Amino acid sequence: MKHDESIVSDLSCWATMAVFVLGLIVLAVHLKAVQVDDAADYNYEKNRQSVRRVQTAGPRGRILDRRGRVLADNRRSFSIVCNASAFRKRSWEATEAAISGAISNVAVVVGRASPLTDRAIRRHVRQSLAMPIVAWRDLNEVELARFSEHERLYPGFSILETEERSYPNGSLACHLVGYVGRDRARGEEGDERFNFREFELCGRSGLELYYNGFLRGVPGEKKLLVDARGFTERERLVSEARRGPDLMLTIDADIQRVAEAQLAGLRGACVAMDPRDGSVLAFASAPGYDPNEFVPVLSQEVYTRYLNDASKPLLNRASGGTYAPGSTFKPITALAGLQMGYPSESKYDCSGLYALGGLKLHCARHWGHGPIAIREALKVSCNTFFCNLGMDIGTNAVINAAHAFGLGAKTGIDFADDRSGIVPDDAWKRKTYNEKWYPGDLAQMSIGQGMLLVSPLQMAVVVGAIGTGYLVTPHLKAGEPAQQRPLPFSKRHLDVVREGMRMVVAGGSGKRGGEGVETEVCGKTGTAEYGTAANRRKNTWFVAYAPANAPRIAVSLIVEDGESGGGTAAPKVAEVLKRIFNAR
Amino acid sequence: MQGSFRHFNWLMFVSMLALVATGTVAIWSAGNARAETVFHGMWKANLATAFVGLAVYFALAFTDYRRLLEWAATPAYIVAVIMLVAVLLFGSKVYGGRRWLWFFQPSEVSKLCIICMLARLFGDEGRRSFKWFALAILLVAVPIGLILLEPDLGTALTLAPAVLLMLFVARIWRKGLLTILAIGATVAFAVLGAVYEAEKPGVTEARREQILKWVPLKSHQLSRVKVFLFPEDDITGAGYTLRQAKISIGSGGFSGKGIGKGESNHLKYLPQSISMNDFIFCVYAEETGFVGSLVLLLMFGALIVPGAWTAVVATDGSGKLIALGVSTLVFAHVWTNIAMSIGLVPITGLPLPFISSGRTFLMTVMAGLGLIQSVSIHGRETKNEPVRMA
Repeated sequence: MKHDESIVSDLSCWATMAVFVLGLIVLAVHLKAVQVDDAADYNYEKNRQSVRRVQTAGPRGRILDRRGRVLADNRRSFSIVCNASAFRKRSWEATEAAISGAISNVAVVVGRASPLTDRAIRRHVRQSLAMPIVAWRDLNEVELARFSEHERLYPGFSILETEERSYPNGSLACHLVGYVGRDRARGEEGDERFNFREFELCGRSGLELYYNGFLRGVPGEKKLLVDARGFTERERLVSEARRGPDLMLTIDADIQRVAEAQLAGLRGACVAMDPRDGSVLAFASAPGYDPNEFVPVLSQEVYTRYLNDASKPLLNRASGGTYAPGSTFKPITALAGLQMGYPSESKYDCSGLYALGGLKLHCARHWGHGPIAIREALKVSCNTFFCNLGMDIGTNAVINAAHAFGLGAKTGIDFADDRSGIVPDDAWKRKTYNEKWYPGDLAQMSIGQGMLLVSPLQMAVVVGAIGTGYLVTPHLKAGEPAQQRPLPFSKRHLDVVREGMRMVVAGGSGKRGGEGVETEVCGKTGTAEYGTAANRRKNTWFVAYAPANAPRIAVSLIVEDGESGGGTAAPKVAEVLKRIFNAR
Repeated sequence: MQGSFRHFNWLMFVSMLALVATGTVAIWSAGNARAETVFHGMWKANLATAFVGLAVYFALAFTDYRRLLEWAATPAYIVAVIMLVAVLLFGSKVYGGRRWLWFFQPSEVSKLCIICMLARLFGDEGRRSFKWFALAILLVAVPIGLILLEPDLGTALTLAPAVLLMLFVARIWRKGLLTILAIGATVAFAVLGAVYEAEKPGVTEARREQILKWVPLKSHQLSRVKVFLFPEDDITGAGYTLRQAKISIGSGGFSGKGIGKGESNHLKYLPQSISMNDFIFCVYAEETGFVGSLVLLLMFGALIVPGAWTAVVATDGSGKLIALGVSTLVFAHVWTNIAMSIGLVPITGLPLPFISSGRTFLMTVMAGLGLIQSVSIHGRETKNEPVRMA
C-alpha cells in the first residue's frame, strides 16, 4: 500500500470534515436564533402582514314607546356582495375591470344596474380589497329570487343577509326617532386593533343620533387571512357581533298619534309631558317625513326634495323651532309682577291701547277691557295690562322670571336638537343689533312679543312648572330619574296665576282648550304676530296643564300661521287631553 | 459486483435518498402555492430526474473512477467549456441571466467537470511548481469566467471553495494560493466596508457617489450588499425578499406549521419566482420548523462528512481530491444557501442541493456523489494492485 505516499494528507481530509461539521453547527445555531428565540417576533410580523382584523357590525337596538310598541325596528335585508379574490388579475386595473364586467353581467339577472361606479370599485380594490364589495344593497323579492336562481353561474358573488332599519309606523314621531345613515364605525383615537371596520347603521338625527352609542350593535370581530397582494384567502370568526339594547321611550304612541293628527296638513308642533317627572309623552312636529325613504341609503333625490320643500319637513319644530311665545308668556310676566309686590287685586284701566312714545300696542279688544285685575287680565289676555305691569317692574324682573322658567337656556332633554331660544336683554341687543334696550322692548317682551323666542318644548316645561310649582328637565328615555328644581315663586303667587289660567279655559280666551275634557284644564292662549305690517301673520299657541289641582300632563301646541290661539290651537290641545283623560 | 458492495457507503446513499424525498415534498409544497398550474406537478419531474440521477449514480459508482478520469475528464471538460460558450451565444434568458441551453444549465454540469479535471491532473504526481499552478488557474479561470459572463455569480462563488481546497490539499503552490485567498478576503472586506461607509445614515449624496465610484459591483449586487448590511432599510423594495425569507423561516417556530401549510409560501409573500428554487429552504423551514431544519442539516451532514471520510480511506490522490472536491461543492451550496436565507451572507442566486427544484443541478450532484461512491468502492486499492488480484 502506498497510502502514505499520497500527496493529500489525512490531516487535510480531517480538517475538511471538521470545517463541514463546524459550518453545519454554525447554521444550526443561527437557525435556532431565528426559529426558536425570535420565533414570536417573526410570527408577529407574519400576522401583521397577512392577518386583517375586521370589526363586524351588530344589529341595532330597537326604539320602543313606553308600552313596548315598536317605533324603529330592524328587518332582514339581502345584498349581493362580490368577493374580489375571485377576480384576481395580474394588474389592479385588470382586476377592477374584471369586477366591473362581472357586476354588469349580474346586473342583467338582477334587473337593475348596480349603484357602484367604476370609481367606487377602484377605491375598494385599492383600499379595502380584503373586504367584500356590496354591489346591490337591500334587494326586493323579485331581484332576490332572480339572483338566487342564477347564483351558481356567477362565482365570486353571493348573497349577504344583513339588517336594515325600518320604521313600522312610517312618519310617526319621525323627528323624534330620527333616521340612520351608514358609516364605518370609528374607533377610539389611537385604537389600531382593526384594519377594517364594517359599515354599520348610525344615527343621523333625532334619538337615533342622540342614543347612537346606546342603540349600536355590539361589534364582533373576524380575521381575514390575506395573501401578499391583499386578496382574502380565508376568514375566521373571532367573536360574533351582538344586537344592541332596545331603547324604551317615555313616549306614548297613542298620544303621539293624536298629537300628530291634530297637526295634519299644518305647520306646527305639539309637546305633551308629565310635569311631575319630565317624561315626554308626545313630541310632534309637522309636517313630517317617512324615514323609510332614507333606507337603505338617503338618496340625493329624496334629500333634495325634502330640503327644497318650503314647509321644511325635516325641521323638528318641537324643540328645534323657536317662536315668539306671545300671550303664553303672560303668566311669567304675572309671576314676576306678583313677586315684585304687585297686588293681585290691583286694577288697571285698559283702554285698548298702550302707547309708549311712538309705540302703540293694541289690546285684542280694541275698545278696551276697562278696569281689570291680574286674574281677569290672564283670562282675557289683556295686552295693555301686562305692558303696564312689565313697565312697572322693569326689565330685570321679567328677564329673571323668564330665566327661572328655563327660557333662554337648553331644557336639558336627552335629544340633540334642544334650542335655547332667546331671552333678550340690553347686552344681547347691543351685541346683536348694536342698539340699546328701549322701554318699548320691555313692553313687547312683557306680552311675549319682540325678540323673545321659545321652543314648544320649553313652553311645555313652563306650563307644567306653573302647575306643579317646580321645573323639571324633560326626558325621553324611560326610567331616567326625574330632575326637579323648585320655582322661586311663592305658592300664593302661583295660585293667583293658576286661577287666572283656570279661568282662561273655564270661560276665557282658551275655553275651547278644555272642551269635552273630563278633567279641569288650566291653560293660556297665545297669538304671536310676526312679519311685516303689510303681511301680518300669526303663530297661534295654546299651552295647558291638567288636572288643575294635581297636574300630571302639560301640553304646548303651536300652529304656524293660524287664526288665533283660542280658535286654532286650543281645540287641538283639547283633543290631545281627551285622549289622555277621557275614558274610552 | 459482490465485492463492490463491501465498500459501498450506505450512510451516504441513504441520506441522499432521504434528501431526494425531502426535496420532492418541498417542491410539491412550493409548486402548489404557485398560481401557474404547470408548477403543481414539478415534484413529479423532480422525482423522475432523481431516478435518472440514480442510474447515473450507480453507473459512476461501479465504474473505477481512475479509468473514468483518464478517459473522460479531459473530453468532458472541453465539452463543458464549449457548452458554456454556446449558452452565451444561444442560451435563453431567464431572470436577467443567460443560463439555459435547451433543457439544462451548462454551468451546473461544468462544476463537476472542473473538479474532475483538477483531480485528474493533480491527483497522482506532485505537480507543485508555479507552471502547474498557472495551468490550474487557467483551467479554472476559463469556465468560471464564462459563467461570470452569463452572469451567474453564485455558481462561480460556490465553485471557488471546492477548487481552492483541492489545489490547497494537492499542495499546488500553497504560498500563492494563500496570497490569493488573502487578497480575495481583503477585497471582500474592503468592498463591504466601502459600501457600509457609503450607505450608512447621514452620509451626503456627494460622498456616497465618491465612495461607490471605487466599488466594483453592479447595481443589483450593490443593492444585495446593502440589504445584507442594512436589512431593515428597504423592506418593501430591495430588502423585501430577505425580510420575507426571515419571516417565513422564523414564523415556522420550533415545530413548524405542517407540510403544505406554510403561509408565507401559500399566501405568496415569499416571491413566487424564487420560492421553488433559491429560497426553497424558507418554504421547508416554515413548514417543518426548527426540528425540520435540524433534520435537514443532519441529512446533509450524513452526506458530506462520509464524503470527506472517503478521502481518508482512499489510497490515491485523485480519489481523495474527488471526494473532497465534490463534498466541498455540496457543502458550499448548502451553507451559502441557508446562510443567505437568514441574512448571514449577502443574497446570491444558488440552489440548495436536492431541495431546490433544478434538474441539471440535481443530476450534477447525484453524479458527483456517484463519483465519491466510486472512490469508496474502488479507491481502497492502489492502481498497481487491481481489485481482482487482491
